[in-house]
Amino acid sequence: MKANNSVQGKDLGLCRCDDCGQINNTTESCCLRCGAKLQLRDYNSLQRSWALLITAAILLVPANLYPITTLTKSGRVTHDTIFSGILRLVHSDMLPIAVIVFTASILVPWLKIIGLGIYLSAISFNLKFSKKKLMLGFHLIEWIGRWSMLDLFVISLTVALVNMGQLLDAKPAPAATAFALVILFTQVSAKVLDTRLLWDQLEQQDDAN
Amino acid sequence: MSSLSDSNDERLSPDCSVILCRACDLAVSRRALPSGVRAICPRCQTPLYDTPYCAVDGVLAMCIAALILYIPAMLLPVLEMHFIGSVRTTTVWQGALAVAEQGYWVVALAVLIGAVVGPGLLISSVLAQMVIIKNRLYRFNSGRKFFVLLLRYHQLLSQMSMLEIYVISFLVTSFQLSDFADVYFGMGTFCFTMLFLVVLFMLREYKLEHMWSYLNEGE
Repeated sequence: MKANNSVQGKDLGLCRCDDCGQINNTTESCCLRCGAKLQLRDYNSLQRSWALLITAAILLVPANLYPITTLTKSGRVTHDTIFSGILRLVHSDMLPIAVIVFTASILVPWLKIIGLGIYLSAISFNLKFSKKKLMLGFHLIEWIGRWSMLDLFVISLTVALVNMGQLLDAKPAPAATAFALVILFTQVSAKVLDTRLLWDQLEQQDDAN
Repeated sequence: MSSLSDSNDERLSPDCSVILCRACDLAVSRRALPSGVRAICPRCQTPLYDTPYCAVDGVLAMCIAALILYIPAMLLPVLEMHFIGSVRTTTVWQGALAVAEQGYWVVALAVLIGAVVGPGLLISSVLAQMVIIKNRLYRFNSGRKFFVLLLRYHQLLSQMSMLEIYVISFLVTSFQLSDFADVYFGMGTFCFTMLFLVVLFMLREYKLEHMWSYLNEGE
């Protein structure tokens, strides 16, 4: 199927309700079925998405540089960043667990921020990427993004279990909050974006060529 | 599945035969699907719709099962650690509180929302929807308003509920701690895992599009 043949709802004078999926005429201001406000395109969502993404990218720095847990073992205190925690797992022969933690706490957040950055740049600066691949990446980001929460759950369980004073004690450290906020902002950034904007812009390019 | 390629001079009426892709606004003509098949947007590969039918009784049954499992899953300890004679246990709830006591309330809030509040709200929301459908309460004005509210927030709630991630996280924790202590699973672990499975199958059966279509009935 050729892309230039595709007709968008906008051209037909139809608008899909964001909430319930009902197809309405663009002349309506509220959805006939659920009463939600209808919006043909949400142009402001691009700006909102950028703002949230940049915030997340800035927070990613403290999340990776500061320690995420503090472990006291027989009186000796060690601070672990996300990365050194994973190295410790590798050294204690727990490679499968290390791979899971690495994916959830390093790979997913970085890929999410870089991926969303590319996606938003493609809309903002009219970059010519394959839109199918961009969209595939976007759906992947939406789906896998929540898995970063794994590290926070592990920290909360460890902190609740390991509390024996000088003998053995685990406490969260500043990076935990930064990491939680990175997850929140990237998830919201992907959620607020109106993805139809990408397809509109690339359609215009096709017409020009 | 084909897109509408003919040029329409007059504006189409919003009928059921045309649907628009959620992600790219492509107009696609709707066709009946065999069961178990999902229609995908020909342009951007976003899922468009699948069988617009779901067994309300089945969802209701799994919802009640989930509600029953929810209580022990939250109250009983999910992990138990033995370290030089002393025993430590933790529930999901205590895990969040322990982090909050250290001053990391953002992390505690994330844990509470993902593992306690999210699943709880999701299960109650689905239960309320099923009760509304069973008793046809959506024909009344207030029932309809409440039903729309529940459906509108359904996707947010199902994203907020992170049971599957929590199940993996107590596996990861137990492996990490097994380095210097003995870790045991308890009844709470079993209930939590069962809760995850029941909610998983409930959401597989649940069809949001089908729920919205009940609102067309009254017109």
